[in-house]
Amino acid sequence: MVTDDSGGETVVRLDGVRKEYGGTTALDGVSLRIRAGEAVAVMGPSGCGKSTLLNMISGLDRPTDGTVVVHGEDVGKLSEKGLALYRRRRIGMIFQFFNLVDDLTALDNVALAAQLTGSPARQARRRALELFEELGIADRRNAYPAVLSGGERQRVAVARALMNRPALLLADEPTGALDSRAGEQVMDLLLDLNQIGQTLILVTHDEHLARRCASRLVLLADGRVAGEHTLEPSA
Amino acid sequence: MRAVWPAARAAVRRRRLQTLVIWLVTLTSTGAIVVALGLVDSASAPFDRAFAKEHGPHVVAAFDPAKVSDAQLRQAARRSGAEAAAGPFAQAAVDIPADANRELTGAVTIVGRPGPGGPVDRVDLWAGRWADRPGEVVLNRQPDWSADALGKRIRLPSGTVLTIVGYGYEMSRTADAWVAPAQMAALRPTATQMLFRFTDASSQSRLRAELSTVTSELPKDALTASQTYLTLKEQIGATARAYAQYLMAFGFLGVVVAVLIVANVVSGAVISGFRHIGILKALGFTPGQVVAVYLTMVSVPAVVGCALGTLVGNVLARPFLRFVFTGPDAGMLHRSVGIAPWVNAVALLGMPAVCVAAALVPASRAHRLSAARAISAGTAPRAGRALGLQRALAGTRLPRSVSLGAGLPFARPGRSGLTLAAVVLGVATVTFATGLATTMTRFGETGDDYDVTVYAGRVSHGRIVEPEHGDRRLDAMLRALPGASKVTARGDVEALIAGSVQPVMFEGRRGDLPRLGDVLTEGRWNHGSGEVVASSAFLRRHGLRVGDRLVVAKGDRRERVTVVGETMETDGRLLVGDWPTFTALAPGEKPISYHVKLRDGADPAGYARAARALDPGLDPVVNGPNSSVETIIGSATLLTVMLAVVAALGVFNTVVLNTRDRRRDLGMLKSIGMTPRQVTVMTVTSMGVLGVIGSLLGVPLGIAGYDLVMPRMANAVDIVLPSSLTDVWRAGVLTLLALSGLAIAVLGAYLPARGAARLTVAEALHNE
Ligand SMILES: Nc1ncnc2c1ncn2[C@@H]1O[C@H](COP(=O)(O)OP(=O)(O)O)[C@@H](O)[C@H]1O
Ligand SMILES: [Mg+2]
Repeated sequence: MVTDDSGGETVVRLDGVRKEYGGTTALDGVSLRIRAGEAVAVMGPSGCGKSTLLNMISGLDRPTDGTVVVHGEDVGKLSEKGLALYRRRRIGMIFQFFNLVDDLTALDNVALAAQLTGSPARQARRRALELFEELGIADRRNAYPAVLSGGERQRVAVARALMNRPALLLADEPTGALDSRAGEQVMDLLLDLNQIGQTLILVTHDEHLARRCASRLVLLADGRVAGEHTLEPSA
Repeated sequence: MRAVWPAARAAVRRRRLQTLVIWLVTLTSTGAIVVALGLVDSASAPFDRAFAKEHGPHVVAAFDPAKVSDAQLRQAARRSGAEAAAGPFAQAAVDIPADANRELTGAVTIVGRPGPGGPVDRVDLWAGRWADRPGEVVLNRQPDWSADALGKRIRLPSGTVLTIVGYGYEMSRTADAWVAPAQMAALRPTATQMLFRFTDASSQSRLRAELSTVTSELPKDALTASQTYLTLKEQIGATARAYAQYLMAFGFLGVVVAVLIVANVVSGAVISGFRHIGILKALGFTPGQVVAVYLTMVSVPAVVGCALGTLVGNVLARPFLRFVFTGPDAGMLHRSVGIAPWVNAVALLGMPAVCVAAALVPASRAHRLSAARAISAGTAPRAGRALGLQRALAGTRLPRSVSLGAGLPFARPGRSGLTLAAVVLGVATVTFATGLATTMTRFGETGDDYDVTVYAGRVSHGRIVEPEHGDRRLDAMLRALPGASKVTARGDVEALIAGSVQPVMFEGRRGDLPRLGDVLTEGRWNHGSGEVVASSAFLRRHGLRVGDRLVVAKGDRRERVTVVGETMETDGRLLVGDWPTFTALAPGEKPISYHVKLRDGADPAGYARAARALDPGLDPVVNGPNSSVETIIGSATLLTVMLAVVAALGVFNTVVLNTRDRRRDLGMLKSIGMTPRQVTVMTVTSMGVLGVIGSLLGVPLGIAGYDLVMPRMANAVDIVLPSSLTDVWRAGVLTLLALSGLAIAVLGAYLPARGAARLTVAEALHNE
């Protein structure tokens, strides 16, 4: 599941990134380097710009100022279509509220990600089913999101994020809407993924979880990087 | 309940588009309803309404002033059973040379009247004032004329000079001009006019009986002439009556469509708010409060829209109805045309009620829903539903954005159902309206296959001037005039049918074009003596069919005839045969008119002038450009366009809202790598599917509606429509109709989809 195993290569590089929404400054000059295979946890109080930071990296939004370079590509300079292709090929995203398509079954939600890149339906479903089996939700494949539990929905979202073997997995408070047991399971999942080389950026409120699965901690406050810590990998 | 208002206000603010849509739909629909109901109202019995409005006289009687005094007339009127009477008014006949002035020429009837009002025959004084003093005159003119001759003088041959001080109008034509009573002595009156209204004015014989009660105690021969309103009604109402059914059908259609579209949009708003409803409940809103929030949210824009729509409808209806009721006869009805108060009341109270009712149904569902289910209801298809279809589509070779879009509508049957309903309704309506308009136009184009009608006998000074020349000579002279191409003579006589006491009109025709533009609905035209064609209404009234034989009697003469054809005519007394049969029945009876068809390019007015010069007893009337046909075509087109606009707006709005609801989904799809183009394609496909299904259902539904309504409508006025009038569907037109449904759905999806595709994903997701 690793697309880049050259240990020290810089995958993400942010330089002086600012983002303003009308009057509010969500990010105020953020510079950051993330290397392949790293698991970075981003923490900070609510409204400090964590989601905005992820949106900059995933190309869901463009910086007002500064550059975001991922895998040598200047994300801010890509066209809308270029961004779409970039997200398909390099980025997998997990959201706090899952963001599944309500009208599609769990399996089709996941297969969809591959189909967008042009995979035939049959092949996309086969790969999706593999992931469902790995994630332990194979029996829920034909259910619609509305009838799944939060933990199940998030695992479907993880499967969808992994579908195209992304270079970068971004998770925005993936356990925020889950009870602690379901949260643990999702965290374990992310940890496993990182251990087989998946580069991971994780936004969370839970310091315990951050310590468990991240190798580095970035603290944000008022749109700025307020501190960085290297974490001891937990047992 | 204190929390309801802020919550509703916040909801309205958050749903600006939806609020705008509800507002727009209620506005246009209410506007359409006002016009439609105004149309229904005006089209139903236009003559009776106009006549009642001016308290028109059922009988206009002229008495000889030498034989009966005004006092005697007053007393007779009081003693008789008349419901109301006006007069006595002195009446003079004046012949004004054509070169004397432009306003009032020819044989003119002038009546001395103290004022325009009174219990009978209220004159609509539409310009200037009444002639209060000698030396002043008010002209009787339709209000659509210009009043620019106010202040001009008219010099009568006797030397009297009258200044035009006003223009008035009444349908009964009791005078060409009115002056103050004190003026009359100078005009040397020859008759005294009395105007009567009777309680029972249902038939000619009733009116005759009533009049004889009035005159019973007056000197013999005091009554010199009388005319009943039934003749007038026959003339004026004919055109309007023939089209009333079509106009009413349009009107009802407009009302139904507007109500359905409003209901559709409003319930759509409530359904798409289910999740919000759940949140309100979770916050602690009671079910009643939730319903109240939703009703407020929907009602405020709806009520504002209805109020404005009523206003717009009133503004639009006036010129529209005037336009519809323009034409040689219909112009007389102008004054009765307008929006009746009840129409506004219905629009102002009824439409908001419809909106609230439409919101109440889904809102009461929300009322019963548990909070948890409501939160997921807006977005949760039940497992298994549409699964097969989605799977099948996902497996096809279609681009994923297309197959995904095609499957989406089936996942949310509730909302898709509403959208589909809007499309079906819209397409069916426009299909139906197109068919109706086509038939109406063709109906208007039939008949009047001649350019000039030359009446034998001219009314002058209340007396009929007979032609000086004989029938055959007139016929020959009319043929010899330059421009004449075909001449048909027509005569009629009252006769009886053996076994029936109801009199019939036997009409004989002779000449080049005996069909005179009548339309045959069954059988064939009469070829020789002893064959007749009859109106559908006639056949129905007498229980006859084409092929039946009957005996027509006039005095002691009897003619045996066979019905060989049925014509599209509303006159239930009409029987048409050839000239020999006519003269066999009524020897010596002369034609009442000659119908002349001119050569291409000939000037009808010039021909009419030449015909008038032939004989003082001829009265040529130019049929002119058929303005009533133009009216019909124009109004049918306008009504179709109006309905199409309302229907299109309904579809468009539903689709826009539906697409708007999916904004979050679109953002989500973009987050996993859908390009803006794919997002647009997907959304447009999903609505396009509904557009196709809706059109496929809507077109046949519209045709079925037409097939159901059209014959019944014609039946109601005793007409059988020939297939040439009802055969209105052309493949090209139907394809166009179906495509238009699709086009509107696609456009309605394209605009918001493109907007959503352009939105940055962060925004789309953030807004949720
Ligand atoms: N799409 C947006 N439009 C306007 N303001 C936004 C948008 N996204 C985020 N913000 C604002 O930017 C700031 C940072 O938001 P966010 O990155 O979501 O914070 P966090 O994820 O750390 O809680 C907040 O003040 C938020 O209100
Ligand atoms: Mg956040």
